[in-house]
Amino acid sequence: MLFSLISKELLMEFRSKQIILSMLIFGLTIILIFALSTDISYEILTNYSPGMFWLMNLFIVVLGAHRSFAYEKEFDAFSLLVSAPIDRGLIFLSKWISGFIFLTATQVLLIAPFFKLLLLDMPENLSLFALTSLLINIGMMAIANLVAGIVIRSNFSEILLPLLLFPLLSPLMIAATKISSGVINSQHYEMWNVWVLIITSIVVIFGLAGYALFDFIVEE
Amino acid sequence: MDFFLKKRKNRLLVFSGTIIFALNLINIILNTPMVADQHWAQKIFYVHVPSAWVGFLSYFIVMIAGFMLYIKNDDKWDDIGLASAEIGTFFMGLVLITGPIWAKPIWGTFWIWEPRLTTTLILFLFYLGYFMFRSFGGNIERIRRQAAALGILAFINVPIIFMSVKFWEPEIQSHPQVEMASQPEGILYPFIFSLITFTFLFIIMLRFRAHTIRLKNSL
Repeated sequence: MLFSLISKELLMEFRSKQIILSMLIFGLTIILIFALSTDISYEILTNYSPGMFWLMNLFIVVLGAHRSFAYEKEFDAFSLLVSAPIDRGLIFLSKWISGFIFLTATQVLLIAPFFKLLLLDMPENLSLFALTSLLINIGMMAIANLVAGIVIRSNFSEILLPLLLFPLLSPLMIAATKISSGVINSQHYEMWNVWVLIITSIVVIFGLAGYALFDFIVEE
Repeated sequence: MDFFLKKRKNRLLVFSGTIIFALNLINIILNTPMVADQHWAQKIFYVHVPSAWVGFLSYFIVMIAGFMLYIKNDDKWDDIGLASAEIGTFFMGLVLITGPIWAKPIWGTFWIWEPRLTTTLILFLFYLGYFMFRSFGGNIERIRRQAAALGILAFINVPIIFMSVKFWEPEIQSHPQVEMASQPEGILYPFIFSLITFTFLFIIMLRFRAHTIRLKNSL
């Protein structure tokens, strides 16, 4: 069943390309704004770059998570989905996994423009940067999809989502910035391994909470 | 449903709460010793720390009420959760006001990204969003369940936030109240009395607010 739900999400996106396209264009726009508003030295910009990278991701995650649930509102498809005789926790899992795929795909497309347009060097250890980013994306999407699932049927959901999501994501943002900073500056793993543990705990806690609570949250 | 003070038990609670709170204030102002390098600024900690304690206790109760609503599906728990969230946010606001008032003369700056203060600020901002969600949410039955889930998520995030901020800026020193237990008797006992007073105040406020919410919902 989980596979069918994920296939549904991927097929919807393959046909409409709404989520990845909007995240990509928004990401590029943010990079442009960063480039135009950071008249600072290369060294300072390099130090800021991990934070800027994850800030860009934070904004595009809001867009992607909201869109992922918003299209279900059309024709009240979400009500039909939750009234299907399936474990509703699987709906959360499918949104989480598909959201992770969309975010990762968008990041793959954005990583080169981010570093090149800001006139920064690409991370030397790109594979490690990618690997750690995957873990961070999983954590980000766990929280984002859970909060999006909560707010989506309320009025002003587009306003409520960032208001509730950003405080919950704040520890993850600290950890993401520290990890990427460690990778970009070629620091030893010992220097930033605690942040990997924090992200892992976020993934486990919010993943389990999402799976357990989603049924309760979406009940009609 | 009755007027809150119509019950003898509630009248007694409010009366004794008022007396204890007045005694606590007099005790803080007149009886507590002056700390050499902090003078009057130190006295704010008899309000600041108990406010923080009550704030976190309130949010803990929001989580418990959320779990109870999840298990029992009884709206009573939503009333308690909402009342506790409101009181908690009031006290967290008090922490964020009294903290900088103390910090300016002692640390020389209004704000430091200290783990507890940062956790307080993050929770405070989250709960402002929580109240907006409850106001604009729509279907009241659904909002109750979703607000319960948000209360649970907010509190299980507390240790993660705290640890993240602690590792984020390890060079920033924590509040001095961690050494409160090793302070002389002149400080420790009034501090404990203040903690008890604020907890008592919280119980009265929670009873009153949950009562008024129930009253409003019954209309």
